[in-house]
Amino acid sequence: MNLYEYLIDAFNQAPVLIQIGFLIVLALIICIITLIISLRAIRSYLNIKGKEIIKNKKEFEALVVEYLYSGTGFDELSEKQLAIITRIKDAIISTSKRKSVITILSNLMNEVSGEMSDSIKTLYHKIGLITYATQRLESKKWHIVAKAIVELRRFKVYETQDKVATFLNHPRKEIRKEAQLYSVHLFKFNGLSFLDDLETPLSEWHQLLLLEALLNLENQKICDITPWLKSSNTSVVLFALKLVKIYTQFETKETLIELLSHPEKEVRVYTLKVLKELFGYEAEESLIENTSTSDLRIDAEMSLLNLVKN
Amino acid sequence: MQRSKIVLAEDNSTLSLLLKYRLEKEGYEVLVAVDGKEAVELVESHKPDMVLADIMMPFYSGLEVVSYIRNKLKKDIPIIIFSSAGQEEMVLKAFNLGANDFMTKPFSPNELVIRLKRFFS
Repeated sequence: MNLYEYLIDAFNQAPVLIQIGFLIVLALIICIITLIISLRAIRSYLNIKGKEIIKNKKEFEALVVEYLYSGTGFDELSEKQLAIITRIKDAIISTSKRKSVITILSNLMNEVSGEMSDSIKTLYHKIGLITYATQRLESKKWHIVAKAIVELRRFKVYETQDKVATFLNHPRKEIRKEAQLYSVHLFKFNGLSFLDDLETPLSEWHQLLLLEALLNLENQKICDITPWLKSSNTSVVLFALKLVKIYTQFETKETLIELLSHPEKEVRVYTLKVLKELFGYEAEESLIENTSTSDLRIDAEMSLLNLVKN
Repeated sequence: MQRSKIVLAEDNSTLSLLLKYRLEKEGYEVLVAVDGKEAVELVESHKPDMVLADIMMPFYSGLEVVSYIRNKLKKDIPIIIFSSAGQEEMVLKAFNLGANDFMTKPFSPNELVIRLKRFFS
């Protein structure tokens, strides 16, 4: 008790500067102790969470694999598969378990093909993950929406077409990009209809992703590219020119010649390249006749000269 | 009759579980390695009849596993490599090192079983 009183007296009698210094040291000691306790609490929470994630992963991995090998070989699901669906459906009410299931299914989709990947898609549908993904489309956070669209594309969910279509012209480019990729991956050339009234630019990388999606498709029916060649959006015109070149759309010749008078030099030069590639020498002569812009005329003459030389 | 032993080196736990299940159903004994280092240890200690290895793995890559089996252990057991799209150069390197076959992801487990049976027939 005496020591306590002695310390209080010493503190009261000390100069103000010493008193302030003492209080600061005391506050810092309290802060450090609080931080150490919080850090330990956070670490143990993360450890528990990590163990829970591993446990969930193991549990659902086994269930998913069991589901995939319990098929009847026909379209209908076996009793075992139905039981697994019910079990997973009940479990994914919890967000962390749902994330585990989505991660497992997404990882598997990247690794296996054929009947197995069809079964994974069926499982995704049957356990009701579409509903959760659709709910995430309503989120105010852009990355949640973008990830939900990626998920819907990966599992080929056609039912959400209308909802995803509302994001095709979204001001946030990440959301817009994912919505456009969803559209093309699932609806092939028909999915490109968003180009009709696209106001925002398509980056070079995004154009490549769209082309990649189109090139991976089988039995595709190519639609009329001409309206996009006449678009007021320069990036849409450039993308359409790439389509003309890749899918050798000879019927667009007249529109291509009109594009030689396009206000953007990039479009004029690319059009020239496409015309040269599709129509060769025949096009070169008519190009020079039809070309009014001097720089392009020079380009055309140069390329004709190269062609003759070769 | 003794079952043929296969070492499966794959860092995607779901895929390795899926393939293990399938291959065991076909009558093979499957030893799973989660990385290249474990794969090499399993090959040394269990003397498998075949190795299935992913190209991209932690510690030792699939290429290093192939090289170790062929050059250090001097084993000529069949090795099938799993690659992804865009890893064509790696596949060529794997063949040069002594891999026998490759499969590009995503692949069908049914196709893998057919290829495996061809090696064991």
